Amino acid sequence: MSEQKQQVLEIKNIFEQEFSRFADVRNTINNLSLSVAENLRHEISEFKIKHTGKKSLIAEAKKLIGRVAPEERGTFGQFVQSVEKEIVTAIDGLEEKLKTYINEVKTAREAIDVTLPARRPRVGHLHPLTLLRQRIEDIFVSMGYAIEDDREIETDYYNFDALNIPEGHPARESQDTFYTTTGLALRSQTSTVQIRAMERRGAPLRVIAPGRVFRRDTPDMTHVPMFHQIEGLCVDKGITMAHLKGTVAEWLRRLFGKDTKIRMRPSYFPFTEPSAEFDFSCFKCDGTGTFEGERCRPCKGSGWIELGGCGMVHPNVLKNCNVDPEIYSGFAFGFGLERMCALMYALDDIRYMFDNDVRFLEQFR
Amino acid sequence: MNISYNWLKDLIETDLTPQEIAENLTKIGLAVEGIHPFANDFVFDIDLTSNRGDCLSHWGVAREISAIADCGLRIADSNLERNSANPDLVTIQDADLCHRFTARIIKNVKIKPSPEWLVKRLEAIGQRAVNNVADITNYVMHELGNPMHAFDLNKLAEKRIVVRRARVGEKMQTLDEVERSFSEDMLLICDSEKPVAVGGVMGGLHSSISDETTDVLLEVAYFKRDSIRQTSRKLGLATEAAYRFERGVDIENLIRASNRATELIIELASGVAGDFVDIYPTKREEISVELRYEKIKALTGLDVSNEEAARILTKLGFKSAIRNPQPAIFTVPTWRHDISIEQDLVEEVARHVGYDKIGVELPPSVGAGEYQPNEVRKFHLRQALANLGFDEAISYSFIDTKNDDTFELIPDLVDEELEEKFVTLQDSIIEGAVRMRPSLLSGLLDAVRTNFNHQRKDVKLFELGKVFATASNEMDLPKEQELFGLVLTGGETFEGKSMTGRELDFFDTKGALEVAMDAINLPSLQYKPKEIKHLRKGQAAEILFNGRTVGSIGRINDEISATYKFRQPVYVAEIDLQTLLAEKENAVFYKPLSKFPAVTRDVSFLVKRTTSYTEIIQTVQDQGFDLCKNVSFVDVYEGKGMADDERSVTIRLEYRSDERTLIEAEVEEIHRQILAEIETKLGAKQRF
Repeated sequence: MSEQKQQVLEIKNIFEQEFSRFADVRNTINNLSLSVAENLRHEISEFKIKHTGKKSLIAEAKKLIGRVAPEERGTFGQFVQSVEKEIVTAIDGLEEKLKTYINEVKTAREAIDVTLPARRPRVGHLHPLTLLRQRIEDIFVSMGYAIEDDREIETDYYNFDALNIPEGHPARESQDTFYTTTGLALRSQTSTVQIRAMERRGAPLRVIAPGRVFRRDTPDMTHVPMFHQIEGLCVDKGITMAHLKGTVAEWLRRLFGKDTKIRMRPSYFPFTEPSAEFDFSCFKCDGTGTFEGERCRPCKGSGWIELGGCGMVHPNVLKNCNVDPEIYSGFAFGFGLERMCALMYALDDIRYMFDNDVRFLEQFR
Repeated sequence: MNISYNWLKDLIETDLTPQEIAENLTKIGLAVEGIHPFANDFVFDIDLTSNRGDCLSHWGVAREISAIADCGLRIADSNLERNSANPDLVTIQDADLCHRFTARIIKNVKIKPSPEWLVKRLEAIGQRAVNNVADITNYVMHELGNPMHAFDLNKLAEKRIVVRRARVGEKMQTLDEVERSFSEDMLLICDSEKPVAVGGVMGGLHSSISDETTDVLLEVAYFKRDSIRQTSRKLGLATEAAYRFERGVDIENLIRASNRATELIIELASGVAGDFVDIYPTKREEISVELRYEKIKALTGLDVSNEEAARILTKLGFKSAIRNPQPAIFTVPTWRHDISIEQDLVEEVARHVGYDKIGVELPPSVGAGEYQPNEVRKFHLRQALANLGFDEAISYSFIDTKNDDTFELIPDLVDEELEEKFVTLQDSIIEGAVRMRPSLLSGLLDAVRTNFNHQRKDVKLFELGKVFATASNEMDLPKEQELFGLVLTGGETFEGKSMTGRELDFFDTKGALEVAMDAINLPSLQYKPKEIKHLRKGQAAEILFNGRTVGSIGRINDEISATYKFRQPVYVAEIDLQTLLAEKENAVFYKPLSKFPAVTRDVSFLVKRTTSYTEIIQTVQDQGFDLCKNVSFVDVYEGKGMADDERSVTIRLEYRSDERTLIEAEVEEIHRQILAEIETKLGAKQRF
């Protein structure tokens, strides 16, 4: 038996000798490049076949078991197996180590910078005037108003006469109004829609008329010859200025927050009597006039922002629409959308609204 | 308008501080925009509404303060003689334009600079001092509100005044040293021969006060408001006098104003008062307005006692004939041209009680709110386009006439028979832009240029807006039609990434239109190759909806691109949104899901480039095989390995039965027939 044992020990010896060329690997593994590691792994798998495969020396050695005396076979067999196991364990250990290392390197290599921008087609933007108009329309629809619009090119009747703006009134001067060569007016206020809506719907009614209007203003930072107005009209029995104040306060609170306050100051418009201008407490400084220790910009330090005109619908306007002012009363209010937009977004030049410059448009959501 | 605090205090008995006065004035509708210190005085900058001509003087403002602060007014009466030995001193020929005219002769005046107090007063409110007599007329106007004019009596032919309309070709040099011609509707103040002043607007240079003047004729008159407005506009002469006459002065205050000025001239220019005439041919009609006190609450919601309402109105100069029983009737003071109805009186009371006292309540709710009929669909359309990367443009409605023949317009917008097809403005504010746009495309192309100029080369924009055209029937108002337009150019863009992807082309444009149609829930559009004026040949199509042309799509032609200096392809589409939105929306009905597998076959054909994809699809569908459930597009190939006039089109055919699993043989038979028909009918050759 000792001959055979000697033979097995020799095999082990040969293995250990050959395996010694991998001795360094354990220590230097972390410095290996991926390709060297992969080559090594390949080498080891061939080495494994050579030393543990069917044609390996140890496989040959197993054949010796039969040649050993039967009573020693058990012991010898165990001995051969233990040597085989030793070889397999040594190779597998290294192989596993390499495999783990290669996986780690590969994973590290495939690691991504998760902070890189998402892959997403560019999204476009609605015009700030659309965004604001939609918000305001939503508020009024929820308050029971119908949204209306109508013609942009109008007769003098709808643009002026029906609104109690008599011939000779300063608002009728052609300096302010665009006229077509056939003598029609580009509507200079959305109040024209008041008339058309009352003609269509009669009283009682509640309408909001957002729309495009035109005035002969030379473009500058705060003027453009075409802009948008939103006009509200409520006609019913028993409508008072308190309802007007309440309504204006309500929608401004919904737009700018529940602490928003409003005030009305007497004013003059031909189509309302009594007339007023309405202001609301500044949304930036909460009406204090000071923001972060400096004079607040939107309200110019006054704490109030002037927004638009309002009043009780003039009885002549009601009569022009066949509504009896002895039975019905109503309020109307109006304001410019561009100005409001400019206030909300701290925009100092409203001409940008119609330049369609993408650098401008893409700032609004 | 500027009002001096010290001056006001001469006229009212009040201890209110400048700040308190400012607050009160703003509260009652005379908005004080600023309080500016001037020497030992304060000046209020008041933004006055155009209806309040009565407040264009210190007296008018003082009257308002006396009502709000409930204090007295100081009024100085005069005891100047008011008679004349000369009945011909003033003749009014056109009493419809000159309702009243007073003249006072003041002799032996010495023209010299005004004393310092007067100069200061004028300077405080931004007026320049000239000489004592001129300054006094200016001063009294700012004090009492009546514009007046002093003539050098010795320069007037026959030393008398004739008030009449201008004669044809009449000319005069006005005080501003400009020679002016008058039309026959203008009222002139003349002497026996020639014009000496434009009534209520500006005096003449020749008859004006000079250092040599010794005798003065002081005019204080009332002119018809509309006439002054027209004359002032026509002559381009906006003077302080015209400004006041237009808004209406107090016709019953002429004598007082004349006396005030005369006394000052006596005092400061050592003159002697002489003849006085007052010609008053067109009497002002007294206006009475009924006030039902309960209307105050009905309109404003304010609780005001009848006594308080009457007090306010009385303080403002209204006289009440009947107070009880109701309704009260109030006579409108002669200086108020803005009061004629009950609501006007309600406003007077309300603004003096204070708008801040008005309650805050919502009207009782009735009915339900509603959007405009198609607003929700348009909302979806906008949102869908934005999601697709388009920014929303809003362009001016007026464009340059040079665009007139550039674009092919949507059908039925303009009537080619008309001489004036387009709506045109009388003049423009933005140079050249007098045409009301008949297309959205010029605005969108301008926008592209704007963005190119800012180095933005990848642009996708859409716009919803009205276009305009003359109506066929001249009795009708112009047509206004809402369109949807889009423009795109450059490459595919990604959020947060500078590098663009594939270049955009015709099919991106078409895709955007399909997204739009889905958003407004309509069936798809059809596209037919067509030569379109503004589009490049071979990349242009008309767009049809149910066989009816609704717009166009394609690549902007080279000529237009050159005008705009575009160096990359630009694609546009424009459709008649209004017409489409009038169409019935798609209704959705569920189709049962198939339980049986489908067999698909991809097949490529070599076809002439003139054969369209639609023709291939149509040929398949026309054969009407029930089992051929779907035919779809896979790919098109042209170029290398193909003849110039050929392309390869690959389609996918899908066969399926709703009742059973198909067997290979039956699919094969149908498929063969379909391919054979395509080959025969379209001259196509199956490639593989």
